[in-house]
Amino acid sequence: MSNVAIAPVRRGILSSIPLFIPAIPFAFVFGVVVAEANIPAFLGWSSSPIIFGGAAQITLLTLMGEGASVAAAVTAALIVGARHLLYSATMAPRFRDQPRWFHWVGAYMLIDQVFALTVLEKDMSARDFRHYYLSAGITFWLLWMSFTALGLVVGPVIPETWQLGFATPVLFMGLLAVSIDRWQKAAAALVAMVAMALLADLPNRLGIILAALIAIAVGMFLERLRP
Amino acid sequence: MNILLAIVLTGIGTYAMRAVFLLTVSTRPFPPRALKMLEYVAPAVMGALVISMLIDGSGAIQMGSPELAGLVTAALLAARTRNHILALAAAMSVFWLLRFL
Repeated sequence: MSNVAIAPVRRGILSSIPLFIPAIPFAFVFGVVVAEANIPAFLGWSSSPIIFGGAAQITLLTLMGEGASVAAAVTAALIVGARHLLYSATMAPRFRDQPRWFHWVGAYMLIDQVFALTVLEKDMSARDFRHYYLSAGITFWLLWMSFTALGLVVGPVIPETWQLGFATPVLFMGLLAVSIDRWQKAAAALVAMVAMALLADLPNRLGIILAALIAIAVGMFLERLRP
Repeated sequence: MNILLAIVLTGIGTYAMRAVFLLTVSTRPFPPRALKMLEYVAPAVMGALVISMLIDGSGAIQMGSPELAGLVTAALLAARTRNHILALAAAMSVFWLLRFL
């Protein structure tokens, strides 16, 4: 450990913990989704280390539980995760002076919270930045693995009369609401909802992908109008 | 096995999206149009998902007043407070209250 600077590591760990709290409901809703979809708990949990992204995991397993095809469910989950392209592009300059192994490992940990914590750290040395990034990433990884496991234990125990399945659309409605910062985005969200309602009969939940693409196109068109 | 396949494919795709610019150490700025499009992914896909999650086995949308009131509560509280735990708790309470009244 003589090579590791303690201060960035300690900061990485300590700043991660409060930032994890908002992710806790996702871990429990994830547990409910897996239980309701009748997916074996360990198989469902394996998506935590393999995907390491709450919204994509919940989307994928909800759709698989509803009988969507693999292609439709994976496509929808990847659209949900498309913001990672932006994180990758924004973070790339900070990785220029980093060792190659860290590019591969850092990519795996480039989740919302690690991005938010590290993207503004421009003054750290390359080594301090790496230690800060890794300690935050490992902290979130351990917490997400533990809390999704806990969610899978708690999920099936909750009585069905509580209707906790409704928590998933509620959480996603919250994600929708915080993403809206101008009227064009609100309009796009409404278009997506109406389009999804009209396309509800399409097989394999293909309506999700179509409705999202229509709404993005409408949003791009509205962007050209005056604000 | 289908589920494992779906998880692995989503894992590979998610990793690829996170890695692509880090591994190529791209110095080109992100094209502004692509940036704009990515901004619309969240409202568009979340809007579609919220409605799709209310579709029952027969293809009908289950959206009575408890669901509507719960979703509106979640949207308003999340937008105002950015607190997902609070929004979830309040929306579920409104939903339960209207269901069991």
